[in-house]
Amino acid sequence: MNEQLRVISELDRVIHEPGRLMIIALLAAVKECDFLYLLHETEMNKGNLSSHLARLEEAGYVEIEKTYRGKVPQTLLRLTGSGRAAFEEYRKGLKAAFLSAHDTDAPPADIKIEESLACIKSPT
Amino acid sequence: MTKTSLSRKLDGMKDNLQNYMGRAKRYNNIDGTGEMGMGIMFLGFALLNCLQTALPANSMWSHGVASMLLLFAGILLTLGLIHWSTKAIKEHITWPRTGYVALRRSGKASWTVFALAACGGAVAASLMVLAARHNAMNVAEAVYLAMLVGIYAIFIYLSGEHPWKWLVVIAMVLGLLAMTLLVPSILMASWWFPMLFLSLGWLGSGGATLYLYIRHTQPPAPEAQ
Repeated sequence: MNEQLRVISELDRVIHEPGRLMIIALLAAVKECDFLYLLHETEMNKGNLSSHLARLEEAGYVEIEKTYRGKVPQTLLRLTGSGRAAFEEYRKGLKAAFLSAHDTDAPPADIKIEESLACIKSPT
Repeated sequence: MTKTSLSRKLDGMKDNLQNYMGRAKRYNNIDGTGEMGMGIMFLGFALLNCLQTALPANSMWSHGVASMLLLFAGILLTLGLIHWSTKAIKEHITWPRTGYVALRRSGKASWTVFALAACGGAVAASLMVLAARHNAMNVAEAVYLAMLVGIYAIFIYLSGEHPWKWLVVIAMVLGLLAMTLLVPSILMASWWFPMLFLSLGWLGSGGATLYLYIRHTQPPAPEAQ
């Protein structure tokens, strides 16, 4: 159990937040996409999506390019090299936690790890 | 939280990640352009085959380089039509409504597709040679086309959307079966009829998908971008 907690606590906190994790996972599968696509797929509101994207851009994980498609303004988004590497690391960490959770025996019923997990949740 | 609930939570996260990462590929056919592309391709093949069947035996377009040129021009026209129609639908309907996506081209995936296509082609060619030797071209042709319907069925299964498309698959299989068993002469004579049949199925399915997509989505307000 301690091993699982150690692995989970080492996960990248910028990516670990559910909303940002969703954004990064969607961006990881594409070369680039626009804001509207993320709005449609994540079903977040514009403000929420913008703030998550700003946080990811600040961390250097996402590149945001303002451009035009014809006369219509378009915001293009793509994962940077470091963003892709960070996501790969995150997936490896998650896989390790997943494997250790499946490998170890069931802990005594009185062991609670809710508090420990709460410490790695970053503010939205 | 106990270990079991942690495992369940991690399982859920893993599934969610895979789901999100697979969405872009599913999004590619959200408007039915993939099926319409298949439909146009088979319509083109059917028309080419029909043209070659209809041409008099002594026509210059039935032999040698001229027939190859005709085939090449027909394929080029078909591919051009697929490219431009898909682009037009994406640019004027899909991207303004639910957004623009450029998929990643991974070299590994391209090689896998290429290897699978080569294997499929080799199997199909062997089947044809075997069938020609045993005078059973109609069966070979039906099996070959059924393989394509099988690929379409896998595609529908993976996309997990529009369960009504299974009816299209069933109709295609039943249609091919009926042609093989009831009117083998149609298949024996030429390829164009079953190819036209499949192309209409794919065009209909793609058209219905596009209709449903337009009905269920609205272009966002201008400030959404």
